[in-house]
Amino acid sequence: MAYDPASLDKPFDVLKTFDWGGDASALQPIDAAVVAAHGDPVARADLEKRLAALLGAGTSRAAKEYVCRKLSLIGTAASVASLAALLPEKDHSHMARFSLERINAAEATEALRKALGSVQGDLKIGMISSLAGRGDAASVPALAALLSGESKTAVAAADALGRIHTPEACRALAAASGIADKSAVAAIADARLACAESLLRQGKRAEAKAIYTSLSEAATAGTTPMAKATRLAAARGILACLDTTTTS
Amino acid sequence: MHLPNQRYRGGIALTWAALACLSCGLQSAAAADAAVPQDAVQMTIDFLAKDDQAFRAIGLDRVRYGLKGEAATVQFAGLLSKLAPARQAELTAALADRGDRAALPAVLALLMASKEPAVRAAAVSGLGGLGSGTEVAVLKTSLAAADPEKAAARRALTVIRGNDVTPLLVEAAKSGEPGLRPTFIDILADRRAISALPDLLTAAVDGDPSVRTAAMRALARLGGPEQVAGMVQGVLKAAAGGERDEAERAVVTVCTQNPGKEKAAEALLAQFKAADDTIQETLLTVLARVGGTGAIAIVDGLIADTNTAKRKLGLTALAKWPDATVSQRLLDLLGASQDQAERDQLLGTLIRIAPLPDNKLNDKQKLELLEKTMSLCKRDEDRRRVLERANAIRTIETLRFVVPYLDDPNLAEPACLSVVELAHHRNIRDANKDEFTKALDKVLGTTKNEELIERAERYKQGQTWERKKPAKS
Repeated sequence: MAYDPASLDKPFDVLKTFDWGGDASALQPIDAAVVAAHGDPVARADLEKRLAALLGAGTSRAAKEYVCRKLSLIGTAASVASLAALLPEKDHSHMARFSLERINAAEATEALRKALGSVQGDLKIGMISSLAGRGDAASVPALAALLSGESKTAVAAADALGRIHTPEACRALAAASGIADKSAVAAIADARLACAESLLRQGKRAEAKAIYTSLSEAATAGTTPMAKATRLAAARGILACLDTTTTS
Repeated sequence: MHLPNQRYRGGIALTWAALACLSCGLQSAAAADAAVPQDAVQMTIDFLAKDDQAFRAIGLDRVRYGLKGEAATVQFAGLLSKLAPARQAELTAALADRGDRAALPAVLALLMASKEPAVRAAAVSGLGGLGSGTEVAVLKTSLAAADPEKAAARRALTVIRGNDVTPLLVEAAKSGEPGLRPTFIDILADRRAISALPDLLTAAVDGDPSVRTAAMRALARLGGPEQVAGMVQGVLKAAAGGERDEAERAVVTVCTQNPGKEKAAEALLAQFKAADDTIQETLLTVLARVGGTGAIAIVDGLIADTNTAKRKLGLTALAKWPDATVSQRLLDLLGASQDQAERDQLLGTLIRIAPLPDNKLNDKQKLELLEKTMSLCKRDEDRRRVLERANAIRTIETLRFVVPYLDDPNLAEPACLSVVELAHHRNIRDANKDEFTKALDKVLGTTKNEELIERAERYKQGQTWERKKPAKS
């Protein structure tokens, strides 16, 4: 069925004032249009434009959430600015990230990276998580800088570096020193294990083994929280590195 | 070289020193296979020696899934004779999971050397995973041991691979230790050894009742139409009583549940028709238990016979019928019969079949049949049985049928039981809450049975009640 923008006028009017508990069936034509837009760039661009226009002031939180969900499916670089504007807002940051994380455009990552430097607290942790979700190697320096900061943020940054697990991320984790917070130290150890496992999967046995050995030594020396678990994981990893008869 | 088992009694873990010596020996063995990373093998061995279970688990995991190759297997298997018993058992299990037959000689040697029941059981299990027909003889010996070795041997003989295994087990079932012959037959059934069916049919008419019973049990699991004729011989050979009953059930299973059940039932009917009067008399019960149109014609003929003995046989067969397709016959016969014993038998059959879960009637028809049966009852004893059976039909209409009997002092208790049993089922109870509350109140004011009182109170409050499991004999 050909895309008919006029048929969506009424559903978009409903969407402007839509709130949770309202009749969501009125929005069904938009749902259907989003699905039908697959493979139809003209329809997709029009829908994206109309949806993004509702992200500004004057629409309810429920409407914005709905829009973010739809943009996560059909959004492009064209929506990034509208979504990025929501990133510092407590009520909308989460859904804006939900959408940006899924939009296949470098601009989306750039927006998240930029917001990382400007937001604080839970919102910052959210940015860290989204950048990790996108595997953004370019955010490694910024994330590494957070390892020595506030506990929750440091834990999130360590986890993110483990998920990104590029050589730079692995190096940044290895270089983290002088951190007093036990949760952060444990998270760094965990992230380093993730890096080692990734290297092992890539067949980089020597590099992986070096990480496992370093972790094992630190755990044996008692400088790591959860020393027993770390020692076990490292021991298992070292053995896997040495076992050249088995692909990991 | 196997160190004396006694040396390790007391469960002392293998020491680091012992391991160090062992590793010296392993170095030379490993030199033959350059592909085996010796540092990994050594590390695994070190882990296997740790007192810490978590580290041992890492080593055992590597034995199970890592360090591929026969050379590594031989090195790990070489540890078996030197470990403490508890460690021997866990390493044997890991080697069995590894599935490399190169470990077989060491596992066999462990079985020969160890007197520890748990180690022997682990070694026997290992033979099941690693062995083939060659190991059947050893496992047969272990089958004669006490548990846990015996149980391990039973499992090992069930899972052991090899085309030569089934013939060896068949041979053991034929001419093995008399007390173990039934076990070998059970193992053949567990292995679903279809190729053993001819031998199982021979065993079904064996001189040893326990062998016959095991064979019929196995045939019930594996048999089809082609085995019915042979199984009939098993029924005829079985001693009257428990053995005959079990043999009959085996034939019924083949004719009502197994693949090809319709053809199997036809084969049974053909066997019956071809038999002389004496054999027919024996087979009539099993024929009736299978049911079907062919069988009912035979039963009808017997009931209509002027010979009293034949009529009695026919009625006895009817009493075994598996479903309610004979309900109208039973009602007609009941209406016509003046003989009290006959009437009792017919009524008992009706009461039994009316609420059967798979009796080919829907719930409404089941209840109608039960109501009709109730109307034909002349004694409270029979009415009580009807009321007790009624709760098998789980509908609100059944509750309505039962409730009036709560007012009859002679029938109140079975009626109370059925009300409570129906209330046990939340889907009926919740959908008809008011009716059930009234009925349960009446039960509470009527019954003297403490368990029923407790249950009625719980159901009224929307609670569940856990049925007590029957005590194990």
